[in-house]
Amino acid sequence: MSVILNLRRLPEFTYLAPKTLSEASNLLQKYQGKAKLLAGGTDLLVRMKERWVVPEYVISLNKIGDLDYIRHDEKEGLRLGALATHQTVANSSLIKEKYRLLAEACGKIAHPQVRNRGTVGGNLCNACPSADTAPPLLALEAQLKLVSSNGEKLVPLSEFMSGPFTTILKEGEILTEIQVPDLPPRAAGKYLWLSKITEIDETLVGAAVLMTVSSDGICQQVRIGLGSVDQTPIRAAKAEALLQGHKVSPKLINEAARQAAGETKPRSRPEYRREMTEVLVRRSLTQVVKELD
Amino acid sequence: MGDYAVVGKRVPRIDAVPKVTGKATYAGDLVLPGMLHGKLLRSPYAHAEIVHIDTRRAEKLPGVRAVITGKDFPGRNIGFMKKYSDRPPLALGKVRYVGEAVAAVAAEDEDTAEQALELISVEYKELPAVLTAEEAMREGAILVNEGKSRNIAAETKFLFGDVEKAFQESDYVREETFRTQRISIGFIEPHAVLASVDASGKVTFQGSKQSPYITMRHLAYGLDIPLNKIRMINPYIGGAFSGKHDAHDLDFAAVMLSQKTGRPVRIVVSQSEIIGSYRQRHSKEMWLKLGVKKDGTLVAADCRVIAEGGAYLGVGPLNIYLIGVFLNLPYRLPNIRYEAYRVYTNKPICGAVRGQSIVVCRYGFESLLDMVAGDIGVDRVDIRLKNAIRNGDRTANGMQVDTSGLTECIERVAEKVGWEESRKKKTPYRGIGFACGSLPSGSRLGGHFGALASVNILEDGTAVLHHGGTELGQGIDTIMAQMVAEVLGLRAEDVQVGIEDSDMVTLDPGMFADRATFWTGNAVKAAAEDARRQLAEVAAEALQVPVEELEFRDRQVCVRNNPEKSLAFLSVLRGAMYGLGMPIIGRGTWAARDIELPDFSTGIGNFAHGYEFIAQAVEVEVDPETGRVKVLRAVLSDDAGQPINPMLLDGQQEGGFVFTKGQALYEECIFDERGQQVNYSFMDYKMPGVMEAPEFENIHVITNDPYGPFGAKGAGEASGIPALGAIANAVHDATGVRIKELPITPEKILEGLRVQKGGK
Repeated sequence: MSVILNLRRLPEFTYLAPKTLSEASNLLQKYQGKAKLLAGGTDLLVRMKERWVVPEYVISLNKIGDLDYIRHDEKEGLRLGALATHQTVANSSLIKEKYRLLAEACGKIAHPQVRNRGTVGGNLCNACPSADTAPPLLALEAQLKLVSSNGEKLVPLSEFMSGPFTTILKEGEILTEIQVPDLPPRAAGKYLWLSKITEIDETLVGAAVLMTVSSDGICQQVRIGLGSVDQTPIRAAKAEALLQGHKVSPKLINEAARQAAGETKPRSRPEYRREMTEVLVRRSLTQVVKELD
Repeated sequence: MGDYAVVGKRVPRIDAVPKVTGKATYAGDLVLPGMLHGKLLRSPYAHAEIVHIDTRRAEKLPGVRAVITGKDFPGRNIGFMKKYSDRPPLALGKVRYVGEAVAAVAAEDEDTAEQALELISVEYKELPAVLTAEEAMREGAILVNEGKSRNIAAETKFLFGDVEKAFQESDYVREETFRTQRISIGFIEPHAVLASVDASGKVTFQGSKQSPYITMRHLAYGLDIPLNKIRMINPYIGGAFSGKHDAHDLDFAAVMLSQKTGRPVRIVVSQSEIIGSYRQRHSKEMWLKLGVKKDGTLVAADCRVIAEGGAYLGVGPLNIYLIGVFLNLPYRLPNIRYEAYRVYTNKPICGAVRGQSIVVCRYGFESLLDMVAGDIGVDRVDIRLKNAIRNGDRTANGMQVDTSGLTECIERVAEKVGWEESRKKKTPYRGIGFACGSLPSGSRLGGHFGALASVNILEDGTAVLHHGGTELGQGIDTIMAQMVAEVLGLRAEDVQVGIEDSDMVTLDPGMFADRATFWTGNAVKAAAEDARRQLAEVAAEALQVPVEELEFRDRQVCVRNNPEKSLAFLSVLRGAMYGLGMPIIGRGTWAARDIELPDFSTGIGNFAHGYEFIAQAVEVEVDPETGRVKVLRAVLSDDAGQPINPMLLDGQQEGGFVFTKGQALYEECIFDERGQQVNYSFMDYKMPGVMEAPEFENIHVITNDPYGPFGAKGAGEASGIPALGAIANAVHDATGVRIKELPITPEKILEGLRVQKGGK
């Protein structure tokens, strides 16, 4: 059959809307391999129309309730319910103030209709290499809370995605919360991106930077998250190492940016993506340093 | 230029409320009792023999009511002219591009119809596919259409003046080759149709069609039924941009499925099917040589074009004709040589796209003009002013320009964009580019070419207009109502436009070449004048004055120079209707009978009236690190004669610019080695959206066309013509990088900057 026809009507499926997490987890377990979880649906429904996935059961998380919270305290840091939508995160004054890079990434995603439905948890579980929430959450060293009938566990985001559109989630496991530690004083972050072609478009390269600089200009801590330049979103660890503990200068920033570009393995438009990684990392580092100055 | 009450005013669109409230009903919204849903099965191969189609399993699926293939049709090929007819309604014997429809089903619901498609088994024998013009033109190439002797489907050679001598006498000559890409058309409403056939065999066709007359003729011929057995009714239409002229596979299939089942059949195709397998713009290679005097005066042009256009011809001969003809406008150019080839390949069919191939012609021309100006040290605005066509000019191929506001257009955009100041203080990586263009206000193609309208005055003093044009979103209904109101002295809101229905009015030949304002407008004006004459006779009797002394304004019929003496429009009307038993219906027709049919073989002749002129200036900013181009401002000017509705004209200018900006910077249909388009959805195929619209300045230079209604010319299609050249020229001004192959991608700009740094 021609590829041209592959965006079709939804295939037939049974829709389930459990009221509790344990019920949801049990259903997932019961229909192993035949069920998909529905959060905002902005990825799942498209995949179903494309027949990438044809689940017999679609299990909605939307009737469980209280999975879309945004909470923060100094001890625990930020707690995001997996169903918090991109728009709520982008609009949250708390996130805009403390974790601006995440608000910037969520505000970039698609357009308002999609942002109002799409969720941060869904964006991570879909595991698209260009998922915009991933680079800032990598830079923020987010941990993901996975719940199953066997209990809960915490997994660092950096270990969560195992390849394009695949994660380490096991049957019956549900991502319920994203945890981000509280930030030290004098930390600032930035997310910069280039889209593939037009403004409202998939991200071609996304670069998130979080940095703490001491009053005498020493980089105390830095984390660089990159999207759409490898099989999964990645941390540019070697670039971070170049900066860590050193006095920040434009020259050092340039070197780090070049290093970050060298850590990427883009498949399509590789040269341009690598070059743009350098540009974006340099620009975001420069902006953050300027802000902390 | 007259003193008008309604014409020339920013009257709100007649269809604004239903459209912005989402209440307007498009073909895909229509429902009839017993309606079935149709779907099309498409070829996965670019080139293959259809060995056998087995539809039995699909037919047995519960809910399926009919399955058809190409064999169900009478075996007549369709085309825009008899001799160019090469396309079967559904594939027959062979498929020639990926996505060509091979079968169709009608079922009780869409899911069943989709399921049925999977049960149709088609045995193909794959053939080698021809995917580029180069391959297609090679000696011994595989034939796309085996009935033809070669893959060159149409060719043409024009010669105006003495080109050899003119180049010899030129002070400076430069030649370049430009390449433009295939783009998809992209309207927001997908192709859709609801066809129903009654017990007498009469077909009612409600579809999303730009030129229902063209579709009607195709259907009548392809299905072998008389025209009076087809009734075309236009619902609201959500854009067309030349992608909806002819009868497509879905149109034929819906009618045939309805004939087979006796039930209404609706087919709506998806945007991905449209982007990847319906009408596209030819990819072209354009070699151009220009000769100038040292002051920049254009002396000669030599041009060769190869247009790769897919598996069937479409309006191919017209496409290549227009490039050659529009080397003659909008600049004075006495000596022109042109040759062009339209080539078959195993790709989707190319045809007209907003601005026609003139868009591409102007890209090459305006780019080279800037290069030449730079080489000889003439200012880029001056070179355009020096050569601009003027009132009364006759072009080398015989086009008669009655009025031209081009000079003023160029002067005003240059001033508005701040050209002179920008030369004194240049901001790095910011640049300004100019380009101009022209288009006729409608032309003739073969077949019927007149326009017809009727105005029915109702007893409360309101009017209903029927015209043969089609409201596609361009605003024809609003401006036609304005013309009626102007003639009858009514207010815009007093005039409604009736449904466009081929049983009630002779349909216009089609909505192409900026025809509606000029041709339909003249017929509408004549119809309103006919009604006015009938009323004036009644009023003259009552007022005891000669008919010639009467004026219709502000819902009054008054005696000129004696405003005291007047009657209310309504009382005159009632005098006619209630007193004399005389309903008032005005009828009008119009055609330019003194223009020539386009001559595809010579390019000679005045094939239109009302040549429109456009000049645009754009300011861009280029990020030298990312290669991204941001269009900051677009200053858009036109000579559209007397604008009927400046607000709608602004919209046309802006829409045309943004549409073409897509081809300049973003769009390109990309095919894999098997001829399958890989970017066939709006996720990957990116057209400019609202975020890509720059800041606009709108300028309308008012002229008075001797043939146009109220002095108007067309404008909508012309509006996008210069944008490719203007943007490419602005990018060059900003960066020094000249892009000769579209689209202008960030990678190409960065590469250009690298070469520059390397000192090459």
